[in-house]
Amino acid sequence: MHAPVLVLKDSLKRESGSKVHHANIQASKAVADIIRTTLGPRSMLKMLLDAAGGIVVTNDGNAILRELDLAHPAAKSMIELSRTQDEEVGDGTTSVIVLAGEMLHVAATFIDKNYHPTVICRAYNKALEDSISVLDKIAMPIDVTDRATMLSLVKSCIGTKFTGQFGDLIADLAIEATTTVGVDLGQGLREVDIKKYIKVEKIPGGQLEDSKVLKGVMINKDVVAPGKMRRRILFPRIILLDCPLEYKKGENQTNAELAKEEDWEILLKMEEEYIQNMCMQILKFKPDLVITEKGLSDLACHYLSKAGVSAIRRLRKTDNNRIAKACGAVVVNRPEELQESDVGTGAGLFEVKKFGDEFFAFIVDCKDPKACTVLLRGASKDLLNEVERNLQDAMSVARNILKNPKLLPGGGATELTVSAALKQKSSSIEGIEKWPYEAAAVAFEAIPRTLAQNCGVNVIRTMTALQGKHADVGNEWIGIDGNTGDVVDTKERKIWDSYNVKAQTFKTAIEAACMLLRIDDIVSGIKKKQAPAAGPTPPKPKAEEEGDADSEQILPE
Amino acid sequence: MAIVAQTPDILGERQSGQDVRTQNVVACQAVANIVKSSLGPVGLDKMLVDDIGDVTITNDSATILKMLEVEHPAAKVLVELAELQDREVGDGTTSVVILVTELLKRANDLVRNKIHPTSIISGYRLAMREACKYVEEKLATKVEKLGKDSLVNCAKTSMSTKLIATDSDFFANLVVDAVQAVKTTNAREVKYPIKSINILKAHGKSAKDSYLLNGYALNMGRAAQGMSIRVAPARIACLDFNLQKTKMQMGVHVLVTDPRELEKIHEREADITKERIQKLLKAGGNVVLTTKGIDDMSLKACLLNFHFSCLVQSFYFVESGAIALRRVGKEDLRHVAKATGATVVTTFADMEGEETFDSSLLGHADEVVEERIADDDVILIKGTKNSSAVSLILRGANDYMLDEMDRALHDALCIVKRTLESNMVVAGGGAVEAALSVYLEYLSTTLGSREQLAIAEFAESLLVIPKVLSVNAAKDATYMGLDLSKGIVRNNLEAGVIEPAMSKVKIIQFATEAAIMILRIDDMIKLVKDERENEED
Repeated sequence: MHAPVLVLKDSLKRESGSKVHHANIQASKAVADIIRTTLGPRSMLKMLLDAAGGIVVTNDGNAILRELDLAHPAAKSMIELSRTQDEEVGDGTTSVIVLAGEMLHVAATFIDKNYHPTVICRAYNKALEDSISVLDKIAMPIDVTDRATMLSLVKSCIGTKFTGQFGDLIADLAIEATTTVGVDLGQGLREVDIKKYIKVEKIPGGQLEDSKVLKGVMINKDVVAPGKMRRRILFPRIILLDCPLEYKKGENQTNAELAKEEDWEILLKMEEEYIQNMCMQILKFKPDLVITEKGLSDLACHYLSKAGVSAIRRLRKTDNNRIAKACGAVVVNRPEELQESDVGTGAGLFEVKKFGDEFFAFIVDCKDPKACTVLLRGASKDLLNEVERNLQDAMSVARNILKNPKLLPGGGATELTVSAALKQKSSSIEGIEKWPYEAAAVAFEAIPRTLAQNCGVNVIRTMTALQGKHADVGNEWIGIDGNTGDVVDTKERKIWDSYNVKAQTFKTAIEAACMLLRIDDIVSGIKKKQAPAAGPTPPKPKAEEEGDADSEQILPE
Repeated sequence: MAIVAQTPDILGERQSGQDVRTQNVVACQAVANIVKSSLGPVGLDKMLVDDIGDVTITNDSATILKMLEVEHPAAKVLVELAELQDREVGDGTTSVVILVTELLKRANDLVRNKIHPTSIISGYRLAMREACKYVEEKLATKVEKLGKDSLVNCAKTSMSTKLIATDSDFFANLVVDAVQAVKTTNAREVKYPIKSINILKAHGKSAKDSYLLNGYALNMGRAAQGMSIRVAPARIACLDFNLQKTKMQMGVHVLVTDPRELEKIHEREADITKERIQKLLKAGGNVVLTTKGIDDMSLKACLLNFHFSCLVQSFYFVESGAIALRRVGKEDLRHVAKATGATVVTTFADMEGEETFDSSLLGHADEVVEERIADDDVILIKGTKNSSAVSLILRGANDYMLDEMDRALHDALCIVKRTLESNMVVAGGGAVEAALSVYLEYLSTTLGSREQLAIAEFAESLLVIPKVLSVNAAKDATYMGLDLSKGIVRNNLEAGVIEPAMSKVKIIQFATEAAIMILRIDDMIKLVKDERENEED
C-alpha cells in the first residue's frame, strides 16, 4: 500500500479531544493566577517591563494583561475579556478573569468524568440567568444627586486601588469630573462621555493632594510670543480656528512664471496681504485669545500681538473641541466666515502658568463647562500613570452609577449571596445538569475566597463563617472587609459595587467560559498567504507540548 | 517536494487505478473527520490559530475548512464543496462534507469488488434523483401549514448546533423578525434580501443583550462633533467622490504669469467644493454620506454660509442640522442608497457641462441619529423609504465570540430565507436521511441491474448523518439509525426540529455530484513544482 496521505500541510499542528479541554483550562487558570493577587484592597501591585524597556506599575487587571504577550490561544481569549470589561464598564477587570478562570477550573472535573461540554455550558447558562435574577433582587437603588452616597460608593469601588490610601481624593475628582460633563438626555437618562470630554493631564511634581478638577481646560502650550502677548486675561473672548494663519499653498501644483521684476514684488506682497486680511477679519471681533489647530506665521503673530491679542498655535483637535465645549465657542475654519456667535465668552480666566520648566495654558472658571481637565500632580511619572488608571476606573464607576443607579454589596457579599441562592436552587434541578450547576454556584465563591486570601486571614475559617451566614435568609449584605479581613455587614461599612459592573462581570465570565469549553479541536500554524513555504519536514506528532509549554512560559512573567 | 521523475515525459509523480481511488477516499475521510464532531446540537467548536496567533473559534465547517489550507487535491474538492453549500444555502456545510465522504467510502468498497465506477456513478445518479423526488413529494411539508412558529423552529434548528444554542429561542425570534422586516414585495416575487440585514458587533454585555434595530446602522461617528446628533426627517445624499479641496486628477502644472492669478486659483479650489455642497443643501439634502474624505475645512466653511442649517462643528443651528459622514464603506453606501431610494452620485456634472444636483437623487428616511453602543458611536438610519433595513447588534464577551455569533446568525438568516422562498420544510435531526434510506433500500430491490448495489450503498450512506449525530450525542450509534422510521419523522416535525427542504435537497445533490466527480478519477499526476512557484507559495 501507499504512504500515508497528507491532507493538511505539515506545518499545521492539530490537537483534539479532552487534551484540548485541559490545555484550555490550564491556560485560563494560568492567566487568572497571574492577576489573582491584585484583587481587593490589600492587593499587590505588579511591575511589568515592556519590550521597549518601559515600566508599568499597576494593579489594574486590564493594564497587566494587556502587556502580556501570551501564545496560547485560550489565554488570549481570556485577556480579551478583561478588555471588554474595561471598555464596557471600566471596573472589575480582575474579578472577571478570576471568575472565568474558576468557572473553567470547576468544569475540569466534569470533563474528566466524561460529561459532554454542551451539558456543562447549558448548566452554566442557567446559572447565569439565575444569578442575574438574584442580583436584581438584592440590588439597592440610590439617589445619584446625593453626593455623600456617591462619594462613598466610588470610594469603595476604587478602594482596591493604589490610590485608596489617599482617601477621598480620587473619588472626589472622579465625581466632580463626571457630573461636570454629564449631559441630560431627558427622560432621566444621563450620558457621560468620558472619552471625549474629560482629559486627564499629568504634571510630575507637587503633591497628589494638589490634583484638582478644573472648571475648564488646560493645555500644555504657551502663547506664541511670550513677552509680547498677555499671559493673564480676565473674561477672555476666545476665537477657535482650525485653519492655519499663514499663507496657504494650493492643492494643485501651481507655478508662477514671472517676467517682470515688479511681479515678484506683487507676489510677496500678496502673501503679506493675505495674512493681514485674515488677521483683520479676526480682529474685527475683538478677541483676547486666538487659538488655532494649525500653524501661525510670524507675521500673523505680529499683527495679533500688536492688537493685544494672545495666540496659541498647533493645538490638538480633541483639545480644541474641549475648549469649544468649555467656553461656548465654535471652531471656525475661515476667518472671513466668523460670526459674533462663534466667539467664546464663557471662560472666566485665561492664564499661562509654569510648572517645572514647562508652560501650561489654563482656560478656567468657565460658566457651565461641558468639558473639563483633571489635573494630576504627583511625585513621578509611573505614579501618575497609575493614578490616572485609577481615576479612569473611578470615573467609569461614577458614570455607571449615573446611568444605572443601583448598588450591590461589595466585599464578596454579592457572590456569596448568588452562590447560596444557586446552591439552594440546584437541588430542584433534575437530570445531569444539576452537578455542573452546583459547581458554578461554588465557583462564585472564588471572589470572596481570593479576597480573604489577599488580606491574609484564615481562608477556610472566614469562608465557612460567611457561608454559614449566607445560608440564612436576610444576610445578603454580609461580606469581607478587604482591609481587615473581618466578616462585616457591608452596608454598614459602605462597601458597595455598582450593579452594572457586577452584572457585566458575571455575564462576561460565564459566556467566555462556555465558549472555551465548547472547543474540542485546536489547529494552529495556519499560514497567512504571504508566509514562506515550509520545508518538507516529516510529519511528527508534536501537538502535546504546546499547552504545557505555554503555561510554563506564562508563570515566570 | 522533490520527487524524482520516473518517466522523462512526466515531470512528477503518477498514480493510477485503485491507489488513487483509495488515496482520495482517505483524504476525504480525513477532512470529514475534522469536521465530524461539529455536527449536531451537541457538536463542539474548533479553535483555529494562524501563525501570527490570531484565533478563530468556530463550528461552521465552511469556515474551518477554508482556514485549514487543505493540500490534497481531492480534499480540496471537498473544501470547495463546503464553500459552495455555504454560498448556495448557507447552512448544512458539515452534513454535505460528511455525506460525500461516506458515499466515497462505500463506492470504493464496491470498486474493490470489481464493480466498474461508471455503474456506481449511474447508480448514485439514479438514487439522487429518486431521493430528491421523494423528499419533495413525500417528506416535505408546506410552511403555511405550520405558521410563523415553523420559521422560528428552522432558525432554531440551524442555531442549535452553534455557540448560541442555549439562547436559540431568543436568537431565533431575532432572526425571524429581521428577515421578515426586510421582506420586499416585488411585482412578481417576494424577496428577502438578507444582505440588507446589517450585523454589527460590539463587545460587552452578554449575548442575550443583543438586539434588533430598526434601521441601517453604520459603524462610525459623524464627521465632526459639532454636528447635530439627530436629523428628522432625513434626506440623504450618497456621494462617491471627494468633498475635499479640488485637486486635479493628474500632476498638472498650472503656469500663471500674473501673480494675482495664483490667488484666484487657491480661491477657486476651495470654492468648487463649496459650491457643490451648496447645491447639495439647496436640493434639500441634510445628511451627506460619502465614500471618500470630507475635508473638514472646506466642508465646514461651506456649510457655514448656509443659513438654513448646518453645522459642522462651527455652527449650531440646532433645529435642522445636517450630518455628514465620511469614509463610508462602498457596500454600506450601496445598501443605504437602496434602502432609502437615493442614487449614488459619482459626479455632479450633467450633459451641459454644468454641475447640478437634483433633489430626486436624494434618499429619504424618517430619522438619522447617532447613538452610542458600547464604546463606539454608530449612525442609525431609521424608517428608510424603499425597503426597510434592519441591523442586528450583537453583544458578547469578546471578539472571537462575536465573530462566531455572526457566522451562526448568518447561517440562520440564510435558512429562514430559504424556508420562506421554498416554502417547504422537512424534519431535521437525521429523520429525512433515515426515511430516504429506507425508501432507497426498497427501491434498490426492485432493480435488476448492477446499479442496485450502488443504490443500496447510497441508502446506507445516508444513514451516516443520524449516526454521527448520535455519536456526537454520545448515544449508541449502531441502532439509532435503524430505529428511525416514518413515525419518528412526524415526531421531529412536531417537536420543531425542521429544516428547509431546499437545504436537504441541495445537500444530497451537491454531495452526490462531488462524490461522482472524485469517483471518476483514476489517474493522478502531480507535477514537480517549479522553484519559483514554490517561493510564491
